[in-house]
Amino acid sequence: MITRIARKEFTEMVRDGRFRVAAALVMALLVAALAAGWKHHVDSTAQRLTAERITRAQWLNQGARNPHSAAHYGVWAFRPQSPLASIDPGIEKYVGTAVWLEAHRQNEFRYKPASDATAAARFGELTAAVVLQLLLPLVIVLLSFGAFAAERDNGTLRQLLSLGVSRSDLALGKALGVASALAVLLVPATALGIAALALSAGTSGWGDGPLRLWLMGLGYLLYFGAFVGLSIAVSARARSAQLALVVLVGFWIVNGLVAPRAVADLARGAFPGPSSFAFTQAVREDITRGADGHNSSDKRLDDLKAAVLKKYGVKRVEDLPVNFDALSLQAGEDYGNTVYDKHYTRLWDTYRNQNAVHQWGAAVAPLLAVRSLSMGLAGSDFEQHRHFATAAENHRRLINRIANEEMLKTEYNNWNDEVPAETWAKFPEFRYGPPGVDWVLGQYLPSIGLMLAWCVLATAAAYWATGRLRPS
Amino acid sequence: MLEAIDLTKNYGTPVPSLDQLNLRIEPGEVFCLLGPNGAGKTTTISLFLGFSAPTAGIARIGSLDVQTHPLETKRLVAYIPEQVMLYRNLTGLENLEYFSALAGQDRYGKEELLGFFDGVGLSREAALRRVGTYSKGMRQKVGIAMAVAKRATALLLDEPTSGLDPKASNEFSQLLLRLSGAGVAVLMATHDLFRAKEAGTRVGIMKAGRLLTTARTADLTHADLERLYLESMAAGIPDGSPLEEVAL
Amino acid sequence: MFLTVVRHEWRQMSAGKILWPVAVLFALLVGYGVWNGLHWVHFQQQTLEAVAQEETGRIAKMRAGVVEAWATGAITDPSEPDPRSAGFLGTRAARNATLPPGSLAALAIGQSDLYPYYFRVTMANKVSFTNNDELENPTNQMAGHFDLAFVVVYLYPLFILALSYNLLSAERDEGTLAMLMSQPLALGTLVLAKIAARGAVVVALAAGFSLLAVLLSDAGLSEAQVWLRLALWITLLVAYGGFWFALAIAVGALGKSSATNALALVGLWLVMALVIPALVNVAVTAADPMPSRLELIAAARQATLEADKESKARLGQYHKDHPELVPKGSGYNVADSYVKYVLSLDTEEKRLAPILDRFDEQLARQQASVAQLRFLSPALLAAEALNDLAGTGVERFRHFGRQVDGHHRAWRGYFLPRLFAKANLSAAELDRAPRYTFFEEDTAAVAARTFPVLAGLVLPTLLLGAFGLVGLRRFPLIA
Repeated sequence: MITRIARKEFTEMVRDGRFRVAAALVMALLVAALAAGWKHHVDSTAQRLTAERITRAQWLNQGARNPHSAAHYGVWAFRPQSPLASIDPGIEKYVGTAVWLEAHRQNEFRYKPASDATAAARFGELTAAVVLQLLLPLVIVLLSFGAFAAERDNGTLRQLLSLGVSRSDLALGKALGVASALAVLLVPATALGIAALALSAGTSGWGDGPLRLWLMGLGYLLYFGAFVGLSIAVSARARSAQLALVVLVGFWIVNGLVAPRAVADLARGAFPGPSSFAFTQAVREDITRGADGHNSSDKRLDDLKAAVLKKYGVKRVEDLPVNFDALSLQAGEDYGNTVYDKHYTRLWDTYRNQNAVHQWGAAVAPLLAVRSLSMGLAGSDFEQHRHFATAAENHRRLINRIANEEMLKTEYNNWNDEVPAETWAKFPEFRYGPPGVDWVLGQYLPSIGLMLAWCVLATAAAYWATGRLRPS
Repeated sequence: MLEAIDLTKNYGTPVPSLDQLNLRIEPGEVFCLLGPNGAGKTTTISLFLGFSAPTAGIARIGSLDVQTHPLETKRLVAYIPEQVMLYRNLTGLENLEYFSALAGQDRYGKEELLGFFDGVGLSREAALRRVGTYSKGMRQKVGIAMAVAKRATALLLDEPTSGLDPKASNEFSQLLLRLSGAGVAVLMATHDLFRAKEAGTRVGIMKAGRLLTTARTADLTHADLERLYLESMAAGIPDGSPLEEVAL
Repeated sequence: MFLTVVRHEWRQMSAGKILWPVAVLFALLVGYGVWNGLHWVHFQQQTLEAVAQEETGRIAKMRAGVVEAWATGAITDPSEPDPRSAGFLGTRAARNATLPPGSLAALAIGQSDLYPYYFRVTMANKVSFTNNDELENPTNQMAGHFDLAFVVVYLYPLFILALSYNLLSAERDEGTLAMLMSQPLALGTLVLAKIAARGAVVVALAAGFSLLAVLLSDAGLSEAQVWLRLALWITLLVAYGGFWFALAIAVGALGKSSATNALALVGLWLVMALVIPALVNVAVTAADPMPSRLELIAAARQATLEADKESKARLGQYHKDHPELVPKGSGYNVADSYVKYVLSLDTEEKRLAPILDRFDEQLARQQASVAQLRFLSPALLAAEALNDLAGTGVERFRHFGRQVDGHHRAWRGYFLPRLFAKANLSAAELDRAPRYTFFEEDTAAVAARTFPVLAGLVLPTLLLGAFGLVGLRRFPLIA
């Protein structure tokens, strides 16, 4: 019975010109988006590998040089892009992938792609995630707003119910009909996506890529399921097909357009972040209160000097067996690190709180849940950006520590004193391992819970509504 | 005065919906068009209203061609369909005021407008209620009130009494007679032979787009009219097209 | 006749269940957008105040240092910077070039959350002080701002379509259309009157809130330019709204059912507001792709290494010319380090110029393409023009950039000769250092940029309207 209903629904939909147009459009966009995402992924990975190779060679070939001067020259850390980011690039456009690791200072990421784009890019980007999160739900609405409402308008519903079809069979049949029409649309695109991703598996250090992909697919299925359930529920209860359509499109607009932006501003209001100026000032304030290698008049420096002189039992820093500049530089780094830890933890926790508002906003708009999850699994969310930034910062601290150790060997108060050219090989290359799936899922428990809740509630609503079907 | 000269409408079917209709209805006449569904009654009324353009021939109201003077002719004519549809969120009075204003009669005060309700036998209390609560009979009466307020000289009625109970139907006929008494030319499409005999001065029987016979109601008894109708349906099928069920 | 219908439509709408919820919802969304815009302007103003305050305090301190150094005599330790030196003052006493929010900034946040709006312009090269992005949660940036421009570009069309998708089809379904058309009333008049009634509601709401936002954001209302911009803004609102009404007429004239109309209009909205802009973006970036920033980094690293060596050489030349300035012993000389710093950055910049220029060129090309292609989507067209009028579009940032460059040139012109001469500045000389003042963009230029946009909206509106009114002749009056 159910399959028969589903088959009839499917046949009707596929014969409907409106569905064909919409399906062709969405399919074309999805394939184009996947292709564009894929190309971007391949290009940017190649660019990253080249940049890593060249900058490492440059680092190694600095020649004889003062270690602190080399620390100022610094190194760059480039963030590897997950292959799944070609499906959902997430916040990538607004953070960039490169950060400069130099002495004394924890830098912000440089070169946001958004700054290198026209204002039109801000308007809407063609990514597979946008197609899946925004356009496909509209196709679902289009497919199912008439599930019961149109039969009611045509008068076929009375006839159907007089035949003694069980209402839950009817609901399930209609849902399956929509699902199979969706499958016609999604299966080829998914296969294409998986094939492309399989090509890159293993080359990128994202070993759990397949698992992430399956989970991402599951998240989207729950999301689509929620839309199918809701559409069928509304269709069963609405007075007319027209009303069902208006209600569902209204929900789609709130879900896809209004809620994401409204929530962003809400989050900003609830957990205000500092301006760049205030942040920098606060960091500078905290650092100048402490010892800085270049600031010899500072009290912390005096304390350090006294302690070091006492330790080595000498009267003047010139008499020390080690370069006092190196010690004071490292002390400056250590102090700076605590300051940066304090401020960046506060800043990033503010953003984490803001993002929690985004996640809980899914109580109103399921898109917010699936978007958070999708970005998380694609590795293009804020939390994994932070994870990378923290790893890069630790590498910066390592580089500086080694540089200051080398500095010990140079002459005191001679900033032109050099260490030999081989020294630079002692500095390890930066290697980054992304966090595992369990870590990612742990960040998105609210989203997971709300997405499940939406799907379950929407299914329940569909059953409830078909149980109370208005025949006319 | 309503006049059709060789009026023809073909929607692209083998048989035209209306085939060379010639008809003239003088002021004070009530002409009842009889015939089964699809005979061309509604098409005739649509052509007089300019809702669709004739394939050939002329429809005239007063002495004006409906095609060349769409707005002027509508000033002269009032239309009452099977269901007089009104704005359900507005009161009867507000509906009457709006339609009268559109008809060019925008000088009526509230008292005058209520007078029209009195005239068709609707209570003032009803006039101030939203139309959503009206029965069908009440709506049809508002239709007549609109025609009176418009000072129409011609009236086009499309099965105005179908679905009305006998009492409401009778009241409607009385109002119609009053209008024709005041010199309005009335064209009414109907299935109701009884009503046609009671309210009409002339009847015309149509089938498959053709006007087959006309007769004066004064010359006929009810039985005569019924016989005439059934004979027309049985005989003289112009082109052998199948007939639809005759609804009486 | 026309006014009778307008009045009636008003009464109909206010008696019905649709208008008030829709209008209240729209007012709430518009209000929220305005509030967010005001909030952002306030944030920028506060930041700029803090920046100015810091600048005043810092320069006063520098000046006091100069006065004190002249009073107490020269500094003997070359590893300490001389507080009077051009090298010290040319970087530490640098003034900020700031871009105050424009008078209509609260209406559209636009690109202003992406581009820096203040720079501390030093005598070093431009790259050294332009990396100054505002801190913002990238997730919020990705979501975009809920400002009035967003409401106008995306939601305002939807409200218009919600009020007009069943303009005639609803009356036909109700049966009142035949009653209406039996009156001496042309269908075109009816449609236009209905549009006028609805247009008055939405346009009044959108325009009213725009005015309110400008009033609340304490923009100098006495200035003519504010009123001119506001007038253009409202004209743009009307023209953009007109387009969507015309679209509703054109689709409605095909005589389909209300549900089909709604579907078709939502589909067209989706294509014009989301799909075409995304495709324009794809086309533009594919035609003129941006060079790789990572390549730039690699090249910049190379340039830094080389410039470092070169500036050592150039400094050697400099010392040959000024033997008296060669530092005693092996020690470190701060005055030299300033020269070296500026020189190496300049060399680096010169070396990178071809690559950096390529970024600018490609971006300019992309922008030129967008300027053409935006006419394909009224939403894109309106969005860019609204940002432009609010002063948060690319144009005003370019205008600001030119002034920053001007000030940078003046600052360098003042300090570099003194730097190379290793001169010390008197307090009076410091006071004479170039000041920065922001000059607002010429309103006539803004208006001139807005007119093609208006034409680009009005023309399709007229075409669609004409198509619709012609199509109405064949409109089936009875279901």
